[in-house]
Amino acid sequence: MSWIVTAVVFWLAMWTLNVRLAKGEQTRFVKILVPTLFGVTLLVLWESFVRGFSISPILLPPPSAIAARFVSSLPTLWEDFVQTFIKGALSGYVIGCSAAFLTAIAVDRSDFLKRGLLPIGNFVAALPIIGMAPILVMWFGFDWQSKSAVVVIMVFFPMLVNTVAGLSAKDAIQTDLMNTYGASYWQSLFKLGLPAAMPFIFNGLKICTTLALIGAIVAEFFGSPIRGMGFRISTEVGRLALDMVWAEITVAALAGSAFYGTMALIEKAVTFWHPSQRN
Amino acid sequence: MKNMIKGALTGALMFGAAAAQADDDVTLQLKWVTQAQFAGYYVALDKGFYEEEGLNVTIKPGGPDIAPAQVIAGGGADVVLDWMPSALASREKGLDLVNIAQPYKSSGMMLTCRKDAGIETPADFPDKTLGVWFFGNEYPFLSWMSKLGLKTDGSEGGVTVLKQGFNVDPLLQKQAACVSTMTYNEYWQVIDAGLTPEDLVVFKYEDEGVSTLEDGMYVLGSNLEDPAFRDKMVRFVRASMKGWKYAEQNTDEAADIVLENDASGAQTEKHQRRMMSEVAKLTAGSNGALDIADYERTVQSLLQAGSDPVITKVPEGAWTHEISDAALN
Amino acid sequence: MTKLWHTAGPVLSILLVLALLWYGAAIALNAAWAKDKASRIDKTLSFSELVADTMSQEKPLLPAPHQVVKEIYETTVLKKITSKRSLVWHSWITLSATLLGFAFGTVLGVLLAVGIVYSRAMDMSVMPWVITSQTIPILAVAPMIIVVLNAVGVSGLLPKAFISMYLSFFPVVVGMVKGLRAPDQMQLDQMRTWSAPKATSFWKLRLPSSMPYLFASLKIGIAASLVGAIVGELPTGAVAGLGARLLAGSYYGQTIQIWSALICAAVLAASLVALIGMIERITLRRMGMVQ
Repeated sequence: MSWIVTAVVFWLAMWTLNVRLAKGEQTRFVKILVPTLFGVTLLVLWESFVRGFSISPILLPPPSAIAARFVSSLPTLWEDFVQTFIKGALSGYVIGCSAAFLTAIAVDRSDFLKRGLLPIGNFVAALPIIGMAPILVMWFGFDWQSKSAVVVIMVFFPMLVNTVAGLSAKDAIQTDLMNTYGASYWQSLFKLGLPAAMPFIFNGLKICTTLALIGAIVAEFFGSPIRGMGFRISTEVGRLALDMVWAEITVAALAGSAFYGTMALIEKAVTFWHPSQRN
Repeated sequence: MKNMIKGALTGALMFGAAAAQADDDVTLQLKWVTQAQFAGYYVALDKGFYEEEGLNVTIKPGGPDIAPAQVIAGGGADVVLDWMPSALASREKGLDLVNIAQPYKSSGMMLTCRKDAGIETPADFPDKTLGVWFFGNEYPFLSWMSKLGLKTDGSEGGVTVLKQGFNVDPLLQKQAACVSTMTYNEYWQVIDAGLTPEDLVVFKYEDEGVSTLEDGMYVLGSNLEDPAFRDKMVRFVRASMKGWKYAEQNTDEAADIVLENDASGAQTEKHQRRMMSEVAKLTAGSNGALDIADYERTVQSLLQAGSDPVITKVPEGAWTHEISDAALN
Repeated sequence: MTKLWHTAGPVLSILLVLALLWYGAAIALNAAWAKDKASRIDKTLSFSELVADTMSQEKPLLPAPHQVVKEIYETTVLKKITSKRSLVWHSWITLSATLLGFAFGTVLGVLLAVGIVYSRAMDMSVMPWVITSQTIPILAVAPMIIVVLNAVGVSGLLPKAFISMYLSFFPVVVGMVKGLRAPDQMQLDQMRTWSAPKATSFWKLRLPSSMPYLFASLKIGIAASLVGAIVGELPTGAVAGLGARLLAGSYYGQTIQIWSALICAAVLAASLVALIGMIERITLRRMGMVQ
C-alpha cells in the first residue's frame, strides 16, 4: 500500500511543480525539464504500481528490471538494432522515400497521371499494407531484404501523396512570376516548386519514420534470421523474458524518437521561412 | 488486491457449492490454432464428456504469439497445453507449472529436408540453412544440435538457423535446406505443395534419440493445493482422456468435430482427417499418465544442450501423478 | 459525360495498367514453380502451357486477379453471412473492433487536445510524450498487451479495440490541437470583448473552427484503427476476423485466401474513409463552411 501512496504523492508533487514551471519564464531549460519530469513521473508510477500490486514480472516487469536488463544485454540489443533499424528500416526508408519523391516529380508534369494516381495513392495510403508482410517475406526471403521491401511499400504512398500535394502548393502568381522570368522547367522546379513543397515533403518524411520502424519489426514476425528486434521480441515473449522484450521496446522507442527528431531538425533548417516554424 | 481476488474466488466457489451441482468452469488454453492436434478436447466438449463430469469447459485457441505459460500466469486459463521443454524453461523462470497429464506419448517433431539440397544424413548439416520454430519450440532443436556438436550461430562449420514462419515456404522456395515439421501437419503441407516423399529426407526427433515430450496438460502448482481445484482437474483429465480415446477410434468423426469448432474457417477436411490419423499414432501409447522414463529423458536432453542449456538444474515437483491416478483408476 | 471521363478516366487507365502489371508479375513469379513441377515429371512446358499453369495454381506465389475475384465472390455472395467461412462475417468481426477502438481513440484524442489547448502545463509535458508513444512498436507487442489485458479481466473485443485506440488517438490529438488553435487572435479578442465565458468561446468559436481539421484526422484515424484491429487479430489464436484469415492463409500457404482478405480489408478501409468524407461534407455544409 505504501508504494501506491508514495506514487500518488509523487505524482501530485510533480504535477504542481510542472504547472508552476509552465507558468514561469519559458527558458530552453524549462522547455526540456517539463516533459522530462512528466516522463519520470510515469516511470515512478509504473514502478510503484508493479511493486504495490505485486504484479508478476512475467506480465509486466518494473522499469528498474528493464533498465538492468538493458544495460546487461547491450551487445545483443546493438546487433538487433543494426539488423532491424539500419539494414531493414533505414534502407527501406531511403529507397521508398526517394522512389516516391521521384515518382511525384514525374507525375507532377502530367495532369493526366496526377489525376489518376492521386486518388489511388490516397486509397493505398489508407490500406493495411502491413498485411502484405507475409507475402513479401515469401518473395524476398528471410533476411533484411524482405523487411526492407515491406518498409518501401509502407512509406511509398504516404510520401507520394504528400510530395504531390506539396508540388501543387505554389500559387498561380508565383508560377506566373517564374514564367515572366522565362525560367525553364527545371529552374522553376528548383527555385519555386521544391522549396514551396518542402513543408509537405517533410510532413511525409516524418510520418514515414514511424511507419518504417513498425514495418521492419512486424515483418520479422513472419520469418527472420535469428537476430533482429522483431525476432527478439517474439522469441523472448515465448521464453517469458519480459524484461528483455521491454528493453527492445525501449530501443525501438529511442530509435524512433531520434529518427523523428532528426527529421524535425532538418525540417527546421530547411523550412525556416514557413509560418509554422516561426515563433 | 490478490487477497481480494482470492476472496472473490472463494466466495464464488462457496456460492457454486450452495447452488448445488452447478457446473464448474474450466478454461483450457491451447498451444496453437484449432486443429486435430487438439481433437481429444474438442471431442470431449462436443460429445458431452465434460458435461457428464459436471464441467463447463471453454477452449481458447492459441496462435503464433500466444505463450500458454504467460496466459496461465495472467489467470487467463486454468489448464494450458504446452511442450515440456518450454514448460520446464518457464518453470526455471519462476512460474510454477506442473504437469498433471500427458496424452501425447511420442514426439511428432521432425526435420524435413530436400534431397536436392544435398542432405542425406545429419552429417550433411554443416553450412546448411535450417528452418526452426522459435517461441519456446526451439529447445528440442538446440539440444539436438548440441548433441551433434554443431554451432547454431551461423559460423563456419555450423548451421545457419532461420526463424521459420508458420508455414513450409522456406523449403518450397529453397531458402532453407530443411524445415521443422510435425508428422501430422507441416509434412503434409510439403507433400500437398507437390513435393513427393522421394524428394525428401526426414529426421524424426524420436529416431534421433532427442525427442522431448509434447502437448501435456499443465496447471499452476499453487492451484493444486486447493482440493476443489484438484477435484475439478481429476474430472477434467478423465473426460479429456475419454475424448482422446474416442478420437483415436473415430478419427474421421473427430476431425469433423474439430472443423465444426474452427472459427477461422480456414481448415480443410482432407487435411484435418489426415492430421487426426497421424495424431492418433502419437497419443495411442498414453493413457494420460506421464511416463517417468520419458520425463527423465526429456530433462536429460534439455540439461545437456551444450553451452546454453535450456534448463540449468534438474527440476523438482514439475509433475504429479496425483491427478491422473485419481482420474484413471 | 466528358466531365465524368475527366475524373474517372485517368484513374481507370492507371487501374488497367496495374491489372496488366499484376498479370505479368503473376506469370513471372509463378513460372519457377510450374517449371520445377514439370521438370520433376520430366516434361517441358510450352509457353501457353506455362501461362495457363501460372494462372491456375492452387497455392501460387502471386495469384492472378481473377483467382482472387473468384475467391471473394465465393466467400461473400455464395456463403451465408453467418457462416464461419464467409468473408462478410470475418469483416464484421474486424469492423466491430475497429469502430469501438476508433470511438475510444477519438474521444481520448479530443479530450487530450482540449486539455493541451487550455493547459500550458499539459501542452508542455504531455505533447512530446504523445509523439514518443507512436514510436513504440505497439503492433509488435500486441500479443503481449492482449495477454496482459486478459490478466486483468479484459478479453474479447476490447483488447483489439485498445490497440486500435492506441493507433487512432494520435492523429486526432495532433489535428484537434491544430484545429482548436485555428481561430486567430482577432476572433478570440472579439469573444473577449463580448465578455464570453471560456465555455462559450469553446463551443461557439474554437470547436466549430476545428471541424475541418477534426475530419481530416478522423480519416487517418479510422484507417489506423483498422490496421490496429487486424494486427490485434493476427496473434490471438486466429479465432476470427480478417487478421485471422491473413494468419491462417499464411500458415497454410493459401495465398489466394491472403489476397482476398487483403482486398476485403482494402475495401473496408476505403468505405470507412469515404463514409467519414460524406459525414464531413454534410456537416461542413450545414455549418456553412463549404458550399
